[in-house]
Amino acid sequence: MEDFTTNTGQNQGQPSGQPSKQPAGQNLGVAALITAIVTFVIAVIPCVGIIAMIPGIIAIVLASVGLSQASRNGAPRGVLVAGLIIAAVATLISFSQIFVAGRIGDKFQNKWGKDIENVIDDVQQNVLDELENSNINIKVESDGNKVEITTNPDKQDRHQELEELEKDNTGINDTLDKKK
Amino acid sequence: MTPWTRKNNYVSDLKDRFRSEPYLLINLTLTGVILLVFLYSGFFSPVKDNYPVVCIHEKLTGEPCVSCGLSHSFSLILRGRISEAYDWNIYGLRVFIFFAAQLIMRIVFSVFYLKNADSNKQLITYDIAVSIMLFFVSFLPYVEWIFNQALKILD
Repeated sequence: MEDFTTNTGQNQGQPSGQPSKQPAGQNLGVAALITAIVTFVIAVIPCVGIIAMIPGIIAIVLASVGLSQASRNGAPRGVLVAGLIIAAVATLISFSQIFVAGRIGDKFQNKWGKDIENVIDDVQQNVLDELENSNINIKVESDGNKVEITTNPDKQDRHQELEELEKDNTGINDTLDKKK
Repeated sequence: MTPWTRKNNYVSDLKDRFRSEPYLLINLTLTGVILLVFLYSGFFSPVKDNYPVVCIHEKLTGEPCVSCGLSHSFSLILRGRISEAYDWNIYGLRVFIFFAAQLIMRIVFSVFYLKNADSNKQLITYDIAVSIMLFFVSFLPYVEWIFNQALKILD
């Protein structure tokens, strides 16, 4: 149990009104503990939990500096250790929220990214289909000469054209020899 | 010793205790922090909707979180519109009660601490135990939500 009542007897016998000398790291410990408690409360509120990283790190630094001072002078370290533990737990909670928010954000991005890709694919396919089944009309005019080419590149028409061409050239073997 | 000198001595003794005893200093600072929270809720109006703090979780993910509308809820509770406060955040009232209870506890425990020097350790033990219990009762839905979100991501 933390002894918050510890006065270490340093201001005993002093005339009242004179400032008492604090044990090493005591002020840092109090600052760290207060920051850590406030950080903990902020960290468990999901709206602002991510912000708690900043005071959490500040509290850890304060407690660490205070601990090093206290251990050098052999001063009590209870408040400092309490501050350090609470700050560490609060920072962990806050960090977990950054992780969660980041992952949810990625999920959204992936979902939207896939949707956009699907839309682009659909549009591309529609354009290709329309091009394949459309009539192509090309007009070229040069020095009073007019050339007009009109085609109906329907799949069926092209199939017929190919079949006619194949009938004309049945004697020619145009297949590749795979064994070579 | 005149009454004036006695009063002066008492005040300087009190100042000295506040400086030298961490428990009193922590209580004093936390009282200030809680009062700031209430001041924030009272200053910003739920009608004007001029709250400077926005939900970072919603900004990042596009999804509202369990604590969205807490500032509105606090402001409405301070103005006595409890049923409207429930509409903004269903857990607003219990979090508000936690802060209000803490404010009272900081003052009462500090007075007890100053008056009963013999049972100071016991008083701090009670304070820590009650505060932890109150904290978990009040913030449990939020803690649960954070835990569930983390679990969902891990799955």
